Amino acid sequence: MAPIQSESYQKFDLRHFLSGRANEIGLLVAILVLYAFLAAFASNFMTLPNQLNILRDAAFVGIIAWGMTLVLISGEIDISVGPHVAFAGVLLASLAQSGVPLAAAALIVIVLGALIGCFTGVLRAFLDVPSFIVTLALWLGLRGTAQVMSDAVPIVIMDFSFQRLGAGWFLGIPTPAVIMLVLFAVFSFVATRTVFGRSVYAVGGNAEAARLSAIPVARVRILVFAITGALAALTGILMASRLGSGNSGAASGLEFDIIAAVVVGGTSLFGGRGTMLGTLFGVVFIAALVNGLVLMGVDPFAQGIVRGVVILVAVMVNIISIKRMRGRT
Amino acid sequence: MVEPLVHMRGISKAYPGVVALRDVDFALARGEVRALLGKNGAGKSTLVKILAGVERPDEGEILIDGKSVALRAPMDGIKAGIATVHQELSVVPELSIAENVFLGRWPTRGGRVDWPRMQRDAHDALALLGLRLDPRQPVARLSVAERQLIEIARALSQGARLLILDEPTSSLVAQEAETLIRVVRQLAEQGTSIIYISHRMDEIRKVAHSVTIMRDGRHIATAPVADVSNREIVDMLLGGTQGEGGSARAVGEPGRFSPLLTISDLRVAPRVESASLEIRAGEVLGIAGVLGSGRTELLQAIAGLRTAEGGSMTLAGRDFRPASLREARANGIFMTPEDRRGEGAVMMLGIDENLVMASWGSVSRGGVIDRAAMRKKVAASIRSLGIKLAHPGEALGNLSGGNQQKVVIGKALNAAPRILLLDEPTRGVDIGAKRQIYQLMRNAAADGLAVVFVSGEIEEFCEVCDRVLILRGGCITGEVEGAAIRTETLAELTTGEHGVH
Repeated sequence: MAPIQSESYQKFDLRHFLSGRANEIGLLVAILVLYAFLAAFASNFMTLPNQLNILRDAAFVGIIAWGMTLVLISGEIDISVGPHVAFAGVLLASLAQSGVPLAAAALIVIVLGALIGCFTGVLRAFLDVPSFIVTLALWLGLRGTAQVMSDAVPIVIMDFSFQRLGAGWFLGIPTPAVIMLVLFAVFSFVATRTVFGRSVYAVGGNAEAARLSAIPVARVRILVFAITGALAALTGILMASRLGSGNSGAASGLEFDIIAAVVVGGTSLFGGRGTMLGTLFGVVFIAALVNGLVLMGVDPFAQGIVRGVVILVAVMVNIISIKRMRGRT
Repeated sequence: MVEPLVHMRGISKAYPGVVALRDVDFALARGEVRALLGKNGAGKSTLVKILAGVERPDEGEILIDGKSVALRAPMDGIKAGIATVHQELSVVPELSIAENVFLGRWPTRGGRVDWPRMQRDAHDALALLGLRLDPRQPVARLSVAERQLIEIARALSQGARLLILDEPTSSLVAQEAETLIRVVRQLAEQGTSIIYISHRMDEIRKVAHSVTIMRDGRHIATAPVADVSNREIVDMLLGGTQGEGGSARAVGEPGRFSPLLTISDLRVAPRVESASLEIRAGEVLGIAGVLGSGRTELLQAIAGLRTAEGGSMTLAGRDFRPASLREARANGIFMTPEDRRGEGAVMMLGIDENLVMASWGSVSRGGVIDRAAMRKKVAASIRSLGIKLAHPGEALGNLSGGNQQKVVIGKALNAAPRILLLDEPTRGVDIGAKRQIYQLMRNAAADGLAVVFVSGEIEEFCEVCDRVLILRGGCITGEVEGAAIRTETLAELTTGEHGVH
């Protein structure tokens, strides 16, 4: 195939392999520790139904987290995804209520979600408005729109086959989890094997160098937000399906669970660094933690404290272990 | 014998995969200015980092005033009276000169900043360096040279007895460099010891008492400056293996090159008034001019990064007016910027990705990367650039400055341009890497590219150019070709010391 190869490519260098994956290895250890702890102290944690339950919950964080990983790697942030999920659910339900077929409504919601993402991206790329500010405005505006549209009352979707999307099973696995895993494969491929994916890293690592290398920086920025918007809309549809209604109060605080999962997964908030596999581990970590705390009967208010502390510790352990492993090899 | 101020004994330091220092001895007397020379990767930056407390040695001992000290953190270095002024300055532009001089140590009275005292003290600290500036004005208004002196003033006000200056003149114009050299000598007379890292021999002769030469992590020689010739120094730097060769330039007959881009009366705000020149395929063209002569602006206009306000360009017989970088790229023009870290490359990405970053189209199909094609292209690039590395996927930031620059040039070459514009490609790069970069330029020209080379160090043009244009006062004021390209000639033409044109 490729007769000319430099010898450095042919040798498999275990230490290089490991040091490049210090982050994922550290996370795997963290997940194992968490699992060991919860298996010992949370009753029913290690049962199959509960594990599948965790997987279903993970999907509502994970699907958006793939897009969020790209957003963070490109050096941006999107805090509007929680309200976006609620807005998408309400829009879907009200479209369905007014007689639009569900499939068409879902398509409209996803396209609109991508356009909302484009809006953020365009303001960021062409007017240099910080993405935090644009998405903060959307965070307020989308939740508000959802509340106005629904009078803050859940809009019921009368279609039981639709409910199977969010609450059902596919080959014994919760359907949302299947969607999450399929999208994981897609996004892993996009991030590592496509020109667009690598351009996201280049833009986040050094936007000026990327621009001078003729990478379409503005297009990359717009696309990462459009993708995340579409994923938020998809999650909104799954959420509406699971709840059987469009609810303007849904997914409250979801944006922070997602950002926490991505950051726990080793993606840099400053851009240029991060992996989908890391994010997958981060998502599993957060989902298992939330589930375990509920099973242990921890007071809901105290759960927030525990989650905050555990996330902080996980990120710190991760950063330290990466530094150690880099130093040793 | 007088006891040295600093004495490092048997210092060794290894990083993953490389031994940076092997059993190095280094001693410096009070008031001595020592030039520290070595190619990138020779170990000089590790040595001064250890002195500054930024890195810890694996073995060896450091004596200050004859007493063994442990320098574990930058704070220890400062307490021991050792201060470093880096190439990248660490002043806060928004704050005043006085605040910068006393950064983090602002004098207070009753819990509030004592402004009158701070301004008085800052004024005195500046006067010590012969600098007359209002300490209340923000640093943002100062030139790079003045900012550097502010840093030196800060170091001295912290009680520094040993100043480490890392390539202090690399971003200064000739006159500013003179001022700096004067300050350094004056400080030495007052008893401050100085380690002066530089690649510029003329400067070293003016400023240093002695030189230390390092190679491959070893101390090669230390001698009074007057006792060693430039030739001997170069031999010691390169280890006698690559020293020969002199000019990389092919001896060619003038006029054998065909014109590719003709520029007439080009006006580019704010510095280029009316530039007319011809860029020819197969030739390395130098553009000489002092800092601020408009040389960068001229390149940027050709590369589509700036819009010309007047004049015209003709590319291969067709009118050419690039409105954007992309349009210039589509016409086969590629420029590498002078700020390597800031604009040239993505340091945290792999060497391989940086090499193909501007030519993804050639190693992908429908947006999906063809990994076999990419590997092949990267391997070929690495071989032709002569980069030594552990793994192509290694982060670019781990390479030395010279190798990073080679990657930036490799990226440009992979984009298969017809015209390659290189803005200061050898800045901050050691002699060995410079030679290799010249060779890359020659090879590119031999392959039929038009190579345009801009540099602030005129002696470089003699090594590599077929033809040199003089940019002065916003116009091309002279042209030198072939064997007539000599340092003295160019120096005269660019600075106009004799003022005849």
